[in-house]
Parts: sequence; structure tokens; C-alpha cells
Amino acid sequence: MCFFKKMSRRTLVQALIALPALSLFRKLPEADAARAGPSRADPSPADPNEIVEVNGWILKRSDLA
Amino acid sequence: MIFDSHEAYLAANFKPKVCILGSGPAGTTIARKLGAAGIPVVVLEAGSREFSDESQDFYRGTTVGDFYFDLDITRLRYMGGSSNHWAGWCRVLDKQDFEPKAWAPDTGWPIRRTDIEPYLPEVHDILELPDFRPDVPISDDIRWVQLIKSPAVRFGEKFADELDKSRNIAVVLNTYATELAGDGKRVTGAKLWSNGQDAGAFSADYFIVCTGGLENSRLLLWSNQRSNGGVVPNATALGSYWMEHPTFEGGNAILADYGEFEVDAVNEAFFSPTLAAMERLRIMNFGIRLIETPYAGVKHVIADLACTAPDMAEWVAYRLSQNLRCAAQLYVAWEQAPLASNRIELSKTDVDHAGVPRIEMHWKKSELERRTLVEGLKLFGTTLIEKNLGRVRLMDWIANSEDYPTDEETAGHHHMGGTRMGTDITRSVVDANCKVHGMDNLYVGGSSVFCTSGQANPTTTITALACRLGDHLSKVVAV
Ligand SMILES: Cc1cc2nc3c(=O)[nH]c(=O)nc-3n(C[C@H](O)[C@H](O)[C@H](O)COP(=O)(O)OP(=O)(O)OC[C@H]3O[C@@H](n4cnc5c(N)ncnc54)[C@H](O)[C@@H]3O)c2cc1C
Repeated sequence: MCFFKKMSRRTLVQALIALPALSLFRKLPEADAARAGPSRADPSPADPNEIVEVNGWILKRSDLA
Repeated sequence: MIFDSHEAYLAANFKPKVCILGSGPAGTTIARKLGAAGIPVVVLEAGSREFSDESQDFYRGTTVGDFYFDLDITRLRYMGGSSNHWAGWCRVLDKQDFEPKAWAPDTGWPIRRTDIEPYLPEVHDILELPDFRPDVPISDDIRWVQLIKSPAVRFGEKFADELDKSRNIAVVLNTYATELAGDGKRVTGAKLWSNGQDAGAFSADYFIVCTGGLENSRLLLWSNQRSNGGVVPNATALGSYWMEHPTFEGGNAILADYGEFEVDAVNEAFFSPTLAAMERLRIMNFGIRLIETPYAGVKHVIADLACTAPDMAEWVAYRLSQNLRCAAQLYVAWEQAPLASNRIELSKTDVDHAGVPRIEMHWKKSELERRTLVEGLKLFGTTLIEKNLGRVRLMDWIANSEDYPTDEETAGHHHMGGTRMGTDITRSVVDANCKVHGMDNLYVGGSSVFCTSGQANPTTTITALACRLGDHLSKVVAV
């Protein structure tokens, strides 16, 4: 489970819409970052264009930044 | 001429050369072609001008295997057939649908798409379609394809006047052909049931079975059983290779420019794989349909995305705050691999009011199809990334490899196969002209002749094949 799922979705979406710069979300606490999926926890330098599947999302690795 | 009963028809002393069973899109189209060629043709229609529970009851049956619609719900038994409630989505099968696929046994037709293309102008008139635009490749793997939302022509309504005025066509309502009799070379007659009782036998030079994608198999299986193989002498494949278009909500997409792919009035866009992608991934054809996600749904998608890709979520949230559309639900419909085990059988225990065994349908989705769904969505997701068009999220049950949900649409109400076209008499029932192998005067119209289903809704191809069969018969019968 990711950190944000603890918040109500409504609250989260309101926060998302209200905040123009969401640096808050970009800097996950390390423990939560590790829980967000193996690709996030991987310390090795990886191709930012690599296609990864995380929580059902088909993403570019750089999307996870 | 339209007669409301078999008695009324008999009184008119009409002498048909051809007898068509069923007045749906296939039967009506063939009748109009023959009538226009000056050939006297009778259309026997089991139902009346309107829906009735009594008539629908003849369509009840059972399904063994995967969840499927009740068999009396998924089709209509009255003049015009299931065109009385079809949704009107139109597209002809793709060129690649007619080709054999090395990774999927029993694929490939004995005809090519070019064999039906000459009939497309007629089909456009009949179904009231504008011209199709060519597919647009958006990558080496994915094509942006078009399904036209047509006015959904109700064949019974649209052609009632024309049929009534025709001197060459007699439509006989409330007249159920319960079985055909045959001697292994020719059909010698049809047994009728009208007004709740036997109505004797009917003879004509030629018989065309157009009773729908489930009923064609049922009628021929029962007829063959009763005549000891005299109606379908090569019956190994009869009832087998039945197919549907399984249809499920497969996920969501976040789109950079939602409007880019909306050209139709219905604001929906469709995507399919290229043959190269199907070959590489060894999957079947599929269609991904984008439907705009309602506002509340978009919020959920953003919330979910924020857990995984916050930057992207931020961007989408910004667009949402600008009242810009940015998310779509992805519905996937796919081609079923033709399998002999997916089949229509006659019930051993249950018969309709006329004593004809009801259908017992055996239907299961295969592993190859599951792979088509999963790989198809991933392919679409990868393409959106590569082309900078957006991102895709798979539904949980797909990402987690769980069972298919049973509370969803399930399939398209598209009944295909059972009397498939082919050259191998052990794997097909009709030849390239839709004539039953080994029989001189028995033909089949409708999607039961499909060898493969492609991803497109069937009625456009059914109508094109019916025009082709009508032309062919006009020449054969005139001799
Ligand atoms: C809810 C729904 C939505 C659909 N949407 C689409 C769509 O968007 N696009 C698309 O391409 N297709 C769609 N379809 C499928 C489409 O309706 C069928 O492909 C089409 O109607 C098949 O035409 P047909 O003439 O082969 O058979 P049918 O339409 O089934 O007609 C068969 C006729 O034969 C009669 N009959 C049956 N048995 C006998 C008998 N023994 N003797 C005499 N008469 C008999 C029946 O009463 C009926 O009139 C949809 C179907 C449903 C149910």
C-alpha cells in the first residue's frame, strides 16, 4: 500500500488541484518510497525511458521521479 | 408481400424457387437481392411483426462454461431479428482477419477481404453508413481504427414497405421451420410449425438458412439428427468453433490531448493492433475503445496515479482544474481463438413447444485470449508512452491475474461460427460460397459462417456476405 492511500481520495484530489507545485509528493519519505514498488527502491542507475508496470500503471521509469 | 400467417400465404398460391429461413439482416438482404433479380423467393419468419414473450421462449437454452447471457435475452425472434435491438456499430472485418495465423490453429478463411469489398457500396446503402476512413497507424504496433455508429437500421421496419409491395418476395410471419429434411444430396423440404401446431411441409428448389448465429447450428444439428445425416453429410464441425467478442473494462488512460482521436459524433475512439504486433506477441485481434471518464472517476484515477507517479498526477490534476478532459475508460473487446470445444449442442433433456431440442452452449475463454487482453493493453500503454500521448492503468483484476469479473458486460451479443466456411470438410460446414459441403441446394447466411471473428462487430460483414451470396444465388438459380 502506498503512503497516499491512507488519505481519503477526496482530500488527496483537492490537495492535488489546490497545490500548483507538488514538491511534497515528489519527496517521499524513504520508507514510503521503498513501499511504492520495486522499481522505486532500485538504487542502480536505470534507463529513464524503460517501460515499467507499477501498481497496474504502464509508465516510463522517469514518470516515477 | 407480407403474410401474417402460413394459411394466408397458402391462399395466395405463390410459387417460390428459393426459401429463406429468417428475416434478420442476412435473410432480408439475400431476399432483396434475389427479388431484384426477378427470382421468386419466400422468407419464412418464426416470429411476428412485434416482440412477444411467447416467441422469445423458443430461444431459451443453457450455457456450460464461462458466464454468458441468457440465450433468450441475447437475440430477438421476430421480423428483422436482432437488428431490432442492435446498437448499430459498424466496421468490416480487417484484411488480416481473413489470413491464417501460425500461432492460432484453425484460423484463415477460404476467401479474402477483397472478395467482399465489391459489395461494400451496397452495404453502405443498406446500413446507412458514411464512408469509412482508412486506419491510421499511430505506431508500428497500434492502429487508430474507425467503428461507425450507424443509425442502427431495424431491418423489419426499414424494408417492410418494400417487401410488402414486392411481387417476387413473400414474407410469411409466424412460421417456424422446425426442421429440414434431406437425402444427403439435396434438401427435400422443411417442416413447419405455425399457430401452435404442425403446419405441414414446405418445398422449394433452394433453401437458405439465416436464422441467426446460434439458431443456424441448432436447426442444422436437429435436422441432421432427424434425417440421419441427410442435411449436413459432413457434420464433424457442425455447431463447433462458436465465437463471441468477450468485452470487459480493461483499465483507464490519461491522455495528453483527448480531442486528438475524436472525430465521430459519438466521441469515442478505437484502437487495434497491427498484424506485425499480433505476430510478434502471438495474440489475436482486439479493439480498445476509449470512453470519457466521468468527473468523479477522473479524480479516482488521479488519486491512484499520485501514489505511483506524482508528477504526472500533478499535471493531470492541473488539466482537470482547467476543465479539460484528460481521462478515459478503456473497454477491450477481442477476437476469440476458434476452438472446436466452444460449441453448440442439442439439449438431451429440454425441448421447445414444437418439440425441438433447445441449445446447450459450451463456451470458455482460452489462455491465448487472456494473453491478448493483457498484452493488448500493455501494447497500447507502451504506444501512448512512446508517442507521448498518455499513460494507461490496468484494472486490478487484470494486473493481479484474477478471474474475469461476472458483473460486467462480458461479451458483445455477437454470435459467430458453428457452420464455418472452409475447404476442409472436417473443420468446416460450408464452402466459400456458403453452400453446405456435399449438398446441392442448401446455403447458410449470417455470422455462423465466420471462420474467425476479428474484433469488429459482425453485422457489416454479415450484410456484405449476404449481398455476395445473393449475387451468387441469382446466377445459380437463374440457370
Ligand atoms: C443487444 C445487441 C446489440 C448488438 N449490437 C451490434 C452492433 O452494434 N453492431 C453489430 O454489428 N452487431 C450488433 N449486434 C448483433 C446483430 O444484431 C446481429 O449480428 C444480427 O442481427 C445478425 O443477423 P442475422 O440475420 O444473421 O440473424 P438475426 O438477426 O438473429 O435474425 C434471425 C431471424 O431468424 C428468425 N428465426 C429464427 N429461427 C427460425 C426458424 N427456425 N424458422 C424461421 N425463422 C427463424 C428470427 O426470428 C430472426 O428474425 C447486437 C446484438 C444484440 C443482441
